[in-house]
Amino acid sequence: MIFSDVAKKVRAGDPLSADDGLLLYRHPSLVELAALANEVRERLHGQRTYFNRNLHINPTNVCVARCKLCSFSRRAADAEGAFVLSVDDAVARLQARLRAGDAPTEVHLVGGLHDGLPFSYFLELLAALKAAAPGISLKAFSAVEIFFFHRTYRMSVEEILRRLQAAGLDSLPGGGAEILSSRVRKAICPGKCSADEWVDVHRTAHRLGIKSNCTMMFGTVERLDERVEHLLRLRSLQAETGGFLAFIPLPFHPENNALGDHPAPTGAEILRNFAVARLVLGNIPHLKAYWVSLGLDTAQTALWFGADDLDGTVSEEKIYHLAGARSPQSLTPAAMARMIRAAGRIPVERDTLYRKLSTREEQEAM
Amino acid sequence: MKGSRLRLAAVSFLNTRPITYGIERGLVGSGRVELTFDLPSRCAAAVSRGEADLALMPIASYATAETELCIVPGVAIASRGPVRTVLLMGDVPWEEMDTIFLDEASRTSQMLVRLLTHERKLAPRFESAEHDRIVDQVGGRGGALVIGDLCFAASARFPHVYDLGAEWTNQVGLPFLNAAWIGRPDVLESGDVELLQESLALGLANRDEIARRFAERDRADVALYRRYFHDNIHYGLGAAELCGAAAFLERAHRAGILKTKPVLRLYAGRILRKSSTTGRSLDSLLSDAAAGERLSFDDGIRLYQSASLYDLGRAADARRGQLHPAGVVTYIIDRNVNYTNACTTACQFCNFYRPPGDSRATTLLRDELAQKLQETVDLGGIQVLLQGGINPDLGLAYYEDLFRWMKASFPLAVHGLSPEEIRTLSERETLSIPAVLERLIAAGLDSVPGGSAEILDDEIRRRISPRKCDVATWLEVMRQAHRLGLRTTATMVFGFGEQPRHLLGHLDKIRDLEDETAGFTAFICWSFQAEGTKLPLRDDTSATRYLRILALARLYLDNFPNLQVSWVTMGPAIGQTGLRFGGNDFGSAMIEENVVAQAGAVFKLSAADIERAIRAAGFTPRRRNMRYEWL
Repeated sequence: MIFSDVAKKVRAGDPLSADDGLLLYRHPSLVELAALANEVRERLHGQRTYFNRNLHINPTNVCVARCKLCSFSRRAADAEGAFVLSVDDAVARLQARLRAGDAPTEVHLVGGLHDGLPFSYFLELLAALKAAAPGISLKAFSAVEIFFFHRTYRMSVEEILRRLQAAGLDSLPGGGAEILSSRVRKAICPGKCSADEWVDVHRTAHRLGIKSNCTMMFGTVERLDERVEHLLRLRSLQAETGGFLAFIPLPFHPENNALGDHPAPTGAEILRNFAVARLVLGNIPHLKAYWVSLGLDTAQTALWFGADDLDGTVSEEKIYHLAGARSPQSLTPAAMARMIRAAGRIPVERDTLYRKLSTREEQEAM
Repeated sequence: MKGSRLRLAAVSFLNTRPITYGIERGLVGSGRVELTFDLPSRCAAAVSRGEADLALMPIASYATAETELCIVPGVAIASRGPVRTVLLMGDVPWEEMDTIFLDEASRTSQMLVRLLTHERKLAPRFESAEHDRIVDQVGGRGGALVIGDLCFAASARFPHVYDLGAEWTNQVGLPFLNAAWIGRPDVLESGDVELLQESLALGLANRDEIARRFAERDRADVALYRRYFHDNIHYGLGAAELCGAAAFLERAHRAGILKTKPVLRLYAGRILRKSSTTGRSLDSLLSDAAAGERLSFDDGIRLYQSASLYDLGRAADARRGQLHPAGVVTYIIDRNVNYTNACTTACQFCNFYRPPGDSRATTLLRDELAQKLQETVDLGGIQVLLQGGINPDLGLAYYEDLFRWMKASFPLAVHGLSPEEIRTLSERETLSIPAVLERLIAAGLDSVPGGSAEILDDEIRRRISPRKCDVATWLEVMRQAHRLGLRTTATMVFGFGEQPRHLLGHLDKIRDLEDETAGFTAFICWSFQAEGTKLPLRDDTSATRYLRILALARLYLDNFPNLQVSWVTMGPAIGQTGLRFGGNDFGSAMIEENVVAQAGAVFKLSAADIERAIRAAGFTPRRRNMRYEWL
């Protein structure tokens, strides 16, 4: 196989093999790779580039999993800087945005694995947020948290998901996938659920009609073949369920965590990972450049390396900023649209399910 | 002599024939030039005795000449790797040779083998031998430097053969300039430089015919001769070859092989480039540009407007690979010292300056400076980039004192004073620009940074930095600096609401000057850093626009050997990505950069970070100096 053979497969819409994926990771020309990824991107989305208005809420940073890659968590509830957000405080945060005339369409809720909270706390949190803004979409709890609920509250994953769904959960974020390989998980996040368990939570969610995202946290100890394997596992679940909305590659950030002497992946490696993901994951519709993690310039540039989504306006991001991210804390919808336009693409504001809300032009015309 | 015939002397080796082809055939210069063939050493002597006006002379003869000489731009016998006709041969490896016999015919090759032997810390005896009998001297622990056509037959006879062209370029990263048309300063008439280049252009077009003729003469393999012309000998003389020659002469001087370290002076005249035809498809425009063909202004506009990011990136990456085939990306360790922030120009985009008299306007004291310079030396730095505001309190004497003190106290090269600072000194002191430069050079100035160019368009300059020098002055300072032997860079800052014609106009002006002087070593561009400055945030400073402009610049600036990426302003991620869009240099592991830091860009990379970024982009990192000579 050479690059042009892989390109033929991509153009014919044939799925790529593990060897093809490796070839792409090793292909000397970053520009050729980007151009091919862009063909797929434009075939799926043309010039359209998505963003949404969202709000990040982290219910707690207390976590029993001692992941080496994390700068956010505190081991115990009484540790310095440890917090649990009350339901009222969470609602107040949402209401502050509503009062400011800056209503988000989605709340993104992820937190630590806190073994001292009742399940009812999470159900009340969802219900209260939904009550405060009935139209809002709640994207809450990574598969790692869902699996932790299953263990802690002694209910099946399905039962947990059904209850959360009933309380207002609409979709699952894609976090905690890291690299779906037992070797890598043992090295960087042994306290998290296994790769099989992570996949299983998403399978169950999809079966219940809960859409989800998926991620890859790259740049620590994984090998390229493990990255390819990760992509293929996601593609295979997607072929089975069709429940993934977007794939989000997340480069490792080294500050304030136990992997601090491991260097962060460089820009060219990050952009290459986007392009390879776009080519291997032909069946996952969206590829998201999460600007908080990437920084604005790299996120914007990723729009020419396969990405079609910039995530949202965010506000109050903690997890990456504690790991040394230098991006701003939030962006206005106008700034997001301008960033997209400055990259030469067309901004489209979307909801959680990627339904178009309005284009910037339409908003400006209003 | 004006009005009379131009007398040329050349060696009659195979490799000189493309150079003399057009003249020999009477296709150019008939009635003007008179060509005679002679031995290499006698060619140089003919010039010094006044028997010839110009000779195809080894660079070593230029360096040791008693009289002032000049070099014809655009024509040379040079190499960028294996040259095949400058070989060290022996029965034993270089390290074991106790005697090296030197072919009398080429002084430059002699100097090269002495230098490379010295740099390998070897000390054999050197003995002179006649050209025709040189190969017979090889045996036992005696090796020989063999040059010219003899090499083709002789190289197969010995187990240890070193190609000195390859040895040089693998070590230094620059071409080796062996010989060029050299003569006394006043012998050329206008049109002569072009005539000599045309003779070569005709020769290059007929290389295969020359190869065939010589192969028949020597009963040799014609394919071998053709490969020699196409792959080994490199006939251009531009910025990279001049840097190679300067590096060679300086190293030889340091090694005690050469008594003086002469400045390389060129005759006035333009370096002609193969120029393109019009009406080509976008694809052929891109592939021609990737192959190093010249783009017209209109071609440049068309590429900017119609070529995709990927088209530009692919072509620029290919061109970068052609110019830098070893897959090396260089960087330098230096320190940017902004010696004063007092400035009268009040440019709209600058956050650094303070008006003179303002309480926050400061000029660094010697003690502060000494500390910064010592830190630079301690961190492995080799250069200081000295730039500051336009401070009316500081005159030429201040800089002369400063440079003399710096050069006496620290082993650092002085890369300093942008054209704006130099022209201000010339006005303040009512001295000509060359006179200011000569005094600065005498005090220790080594090279000039390409700042204050912004966009070289008077309409835009009047709008954004009305008190700065106009385009013609900026170019004139650079022209004079190049003529005096200083190497400089050129920069461009975009994002001031400029049109494609302004960008291409900027590139066109510096390309034009490079044709004239071959004095720019590198081009660096970045987008205007808007945050915190008086201008509003603009859309045209995006990273993708940077990558497009970088790639376009790589294609348009066919005569610039190096393109730096600007990680300091664009960020490490985009800077690194730029290495795949035409960049071949990562700039500086900077210890300090006040001007950009004040505008919101704060990035820091250590040398180790830079090397990792270079490797991750698929290249081998090497440290360099301002000449882009590997260290």
